[in-house]
Amino acid sequence: MLKLRNVATNFGNSVIIRGVSLEIKKGDFVSLLGSNGAGKTTLFRTIAGILKPCQGTVEFKGRQTNRMSADKIVKLGLSLCPEGRHLFPQLSVHKNLMMGAYIRRRDHKGIKRSIGQVQELFPILKERKEQMAGTLSGGEQQMLAIARALMSDPELLLLDEPSIGLAPLIVKNIADKVKAINEMGTTIFLSEQNANMALKITGRGYVLESGSIIMEGPSNQLITDDVVRKAYLGA
Amino acid sequence: MELFLQQVFNGIMLGSTYAMVALGLTLVFGILHVPNFAHGNLYMLGAYVTFFLISLYQFGFWAAVISSMVILGVVGMLVERFVYRPLIGQPHINMFISAIGLLILLENSVAVVWGTSAKRIPHPYPDTVHLLGITTTQQRLIVIVAAVIMIILLQLFIKKTIHGTTIEAVAQDREGAQLVGINVNWVSSMTFAISSAFAAAAASLMAPIFMITPTMGALLVMKAFVIIILGGLGSMQGAILGGYILGLVESLGGGFISAAYKDVFAFGALVLILAIKPTGLFGKESN
Repeated sequence: MLKLRNVATNFGNSVIIRGVSLEIKKGDFVSLLGSNGAGKTTLFRTIAGILKPCQGTVEFKGRQTNRMSADKIVKLGLSLCPEGRHLFPQLSVHKNLMMGAYIRRRDHKGIKRSIGQVQELFPILKERKEQMAGTLSGGEQQMLAIARALMSDPELLLLDEPSIGLAPLIVKNIADKVKAINEMGTTIFLSEQNANMALKITGRGYVLESGSIIMEGPSNQLITDDVVRKAYLGA
Repeated sequence: MELFLQQVFNGIMLGSTYAMVALGLTLVFGILHVPNFAHGNLYMLGAYVTFFLISLYQFGFWAAVISSMVILGVVGMLVERFVYRPLIGQPHINMFISAIGLLILLENSVAVVWGTSAKRIPHPYPDTVHLLGITTTQQRLIVIVAAVIMIILLQLFIKKTIHGTTIEAVAQDREGAQLVGINVNWVSSMTFAISSAFAAAAASLMAPIFMITPTMGALLVMKAFVIIILGGLGSMQGAILGGYILGLVESLGGGFISAAYKDVFAFGALVLILAIKPTGLFGKESN
């Protein structure tokens, strides 16, 4: 479904991502591990079309997307829930969700169904429906960001560090919900510093270091790997 | 008392056009985060377009106003596309310089093509009206009613429709907007069209009352900046309320103290309000 070949991205004058190749198949649940500054966010922003790679190709559902604008990539069925959430702080929770469904704005029935689904996933969003997004707690904002990303009914969902800055109990809750989203049929690519959490729920993982993939494999093997344990699991 | 009501009425009329101009400016500011100094000149151009449609092509008043709005809407889109969009991502100073360049270009082009002498659109509604003890012209009443209707329609568009909400979404988080599939360039284009069309409407409605000259936009754009700073940058309610406050301050100050100093009252009000509330009336604390 998603194929990256030898992708490199610059930011200003520095190369952040170099020679990244990876592949994600329909239905997969894949994690991208790496420490702060490894280039996870840059890689995700490149895939979503916010940044343009200076080298290599990105292919989504058989179409080359590395020159497409971000809004066109969303229309193809790829949705990024970004680091820092990028919600619309002065719009209500409900309007944020409606904006999430912008690309299918004429499909009123589908939108209603999706709102029902995300509210079932995150009941707090129903309670907070009319509240401004900027007034939610960090955990609630993260739930809203995931919900908004789901509103476009994506085939591939990129989640960039959903656990960042959240209390362990909320991280656990969000991890369960993300797993549930994958089980309902959405392919998920999850970027995490919290390797412990990510490797427990995903099937496969890539390890990114200084902008390059240094390791890949099934999650249950990575979790026992010495290098991964030392670097990311604090063992 | 009669003089007071008369001045309040004039203040509301002035305020209606100020509110329309300031609304357009604040919308564009919210999207680009750079003040469009040429906004007053788009206003001026709108008045000239209306003038020529009426005097050269015998358009009726309303047909001319609406055509002028459409023409200026297109001009606004072109300005966005060719003056501002190429500068996105560059230092803000570049957009400032471009804005001032555009201001000079528009003002002087109009002066060269149509001359610097003041022109006046013949009064379409010259009849006087007696209302609550004051005497005014139908035209002045029309300015108020039309402005209020347009302001309400714009609010409904932005708050109640999905396309209108995209303007708020882009203003609040540009990247977030891209990530939900909004074409940010298209939204910028639409916002400039609305902003310029509003300026054209305000200018056309006022044109039968005041003279039109190539420099008519210069002071107005300063006042519009006063209004949006007064109201709190990026706030639509602030722009509307600020417009009416400025209109009333000018009109009452001009009527009761000295007409020669009416602009002093306007800018004095800015200094005073910012001294008391530095974020403006509806401004949010910066974070």
